[in-house]
Amino acid sequence: MLPLTLLRTSVYHPMLVELKNGETYNGNLMSCDNFMNIHLRDVICTSRDGDRFWKIPECYIRGNTIKYLRLPEDILGLVKEDTNEKPSRSGPNSRRPFRGRGDGGRGGHGGRPGDQRKGGGGGGRGGHQGSRGGGRGGQQGGQFRQGR
Amino acid sequence: MDLSIVNNDYYLSGMAALIGDIDKQLMVMLRDGRTLIAFLRSLDQFGRDKGYDEWSIRYCFLVGNLVLHQAFERICIGHQYADIPRGLFVIRGENVLFIGELDFHQPLRVPLIEVTIEEILKLQKEDIEKKGRIEKLRQKAMIEHGLVGEGNPIEEHY
Repeated sequence: MLPLTLLRTSVYHPMLVELKNGETYNGNLMSCDNFMNIHLRDVICTSRDGDRFWKIPECYIRGNTIKYLRLPEDILGLVKEDTNEKPSRSGPNSRRPFRGRGDGGRGGHGGRPGDQRKGGGGGGRGGHQGSRGGGRGGQQGGQFRQGR
Repeated sequence: MDLSIVNNDYYLSGMAALIGDIDKQLMVMLRDGRTLIAFLRSLDQFGRDKGYDEWSIRYCFLVGNLVLHQAFERICIGHQYADIPRGLFVIRGENVLFIGELDFHQPLRVPLIEVTIEEILKLQKEDIEKKGRIEKLRQKAMIEHGLVGEGNPIEEHY
């Protein structure tokens, strides 16, 4: 399951965000998007050295300033439930056991063939979800081309 | 890395090569100097490689994200280390320095002594202070010689 999908399922859950400048923001995730921009509520901001604290009712963090996010472990359990409930979005296409942008047979041989992992195969799944990374040059993920 | 996925015909570049390492325990080093040991659960990638140019150099821009599970932050000061459990991480790919596979069956080449977390945090603070002092002296000496430092590129932006 893709990192951004994991993030989407952890909406309304508490999380810790560390930015590139070392500040940490502890709060509940209200929303996120494909750029990892996040909206948090009831936030406690800690400075880089850990000596200053601010309480912020709401904040919006631009995705590219994020270093990492720490989520509660029980989110993984929640994610499994979510993926079981959601109906398949792209119809029969999504069931093909290959990764890649939809390049049929070629994509099917890239990587490990016939490898249906429960949580992984991130690159290929990214290729299916058409809305992903819309602003990033519109490139689909996981383009496995035949190398030289 | 899993070499079985690297051969002449099917070469996965950059982050995609990590697919073979899913559910394996990896050591991830971040650009801020943190070392994490965790199971890689999933990743994504975007951008694409442009293939080869006439000098056989691959161009690829890939800034994916990683999901790390059961992560431990390993702090090493000298020969002493401690693992701080951190849980579930989603890391933005651009902050990763390198990712390496861990082999626990091999003995450590450098014998590390495990200490408690409080102890290592104390040692880390002292270490940072010492390095800060040395850096300050260095900066002073550089300025006296007319060499002004370029500053920390990351901290400058943010």
